[in-house]
Amino acid sequence: MSDTIDLLEAIGKNAALRHAPTEELAEVLSEANASEALLAAVRQGDSSLLSAELGHHPLRVNHDYHTGGNEDEEQPDGEPGEESPGEAPDSLLG
Amino acid sequence: MTAPSLPNDAPRGSLACVGLGMTLGSHLTPLARSHIEQADVVFAALAHGAAEMWLQRMHPDVRSLQPYYKEGKSRQKTYREWVDLMMTEVRAGKRVCAVFYGHPGIFAWSPRTAIEQARAEGHVAHMEPGISAEDCLYADLGIDPGRFGCQHFEASQLLFYERKIDPCGYLVLWQVALVGDWSLTRFETGPAYRKVLVDVLSADYPLDHDIIIYRAATLPIEKPRVRRIRLGELPDITLTGEDTVVLPPAARLKPNLAVRQRLQALDEACALA
Repeated sequence: MSDTIDLLEAIGKNAALRHAPTEELAEVLSEANASEALLAAVRQGDSSLLSAELGHHPLRVNHDYHTGGNEDEEQPDGEPGEESPGEAPDSLLG
Repeated sequence: MTAPSLPNDAPRGSLACVGLGMTLGSHLTPLARSHIEQADVVFAALAHGAAEMWLQRMHPDVRSLQPYYKEGKSRQKTYREWVDLMMTEVRAGKRVCAVFYGHPGIFAWSPRTAIEQARAEGHVAHMEPGISAEDCLYADLGIDPGRFGCQHFEASQLLFYERKIDPCGYLVLWQVALVGDWSLTRFETGPAYRKVLVDVLSADYPLDHDIIIYRAATLPIEKPRVRRIRLGELPDITLTGEDTVVLPPAARLKPNLAVRQRLQALDEACALA
């Protein structure tokens, strides 16, 4: 069986595979001896089916705290929302 | 802050904060990969477990920052811990690479803060951009922010502060799933909070205004997720931290006749000169 992470990387950087129709991609993966979980995820359009194989959980995606902060500790970044106009853009859009 | 004095021959730690992009295998730049491969230590704050596993193929010492999140724990505390973890290794003389999903400078407090801190202590530190959710949004939804203009807000900011929305342009709202969470301890709020957001937006948009719920592909076997609903339905749908809300323009651009006349006069004066 081929390594799923290697196959995902290969798909991600291949223009023909990245946007291939579902059946076409599934056929290529089947020929590449992909895992049943990866094949099922592709065929059913449900990447959560990979969880059984990879054993991962959804990760937190909020890596900032621009607005909020009602806790006792001192704010390291100043009071959110009170930056001067010249300082605000990088905290909003980067 | 005074930089700690180091012997001349001491190794000086450095910090590079890089973006992995949004889609595994598709977006990592050659330079970001080089930073990862040349680092002594790699920290990771990514959006998918598969992306962490992919990163581990590039470096033998990848340390996930995800375990520092905890339900009920202030994210402010978590992000400070992240900065401390990075800086401890930098101060120890290591070449540190911190990898964030998307762009490391967008909606990410700790990379910016760690870079500032490292520089203040005399270390080399910089940021390498990555393909962000915003970049993917423009491509997948066919939006050109230059056409009508485009405002971006963390959704909570529209509730906590008085902001001016321009309904002639696009409005992009980030982190709507946890809108209104002042405590920084929750990862979702819920329909009642989103109803408050809708009430605020209804000052500028009709409740039947068509809006878009967008999520970029994180795995290359996924397609971007695009849902079209009406503004008034926003409280009732399922929403996660990955979802972004886009409000297309609700009003036509209004010609500024006074300024146009002024410019016309300038044009005429130039033509006569």
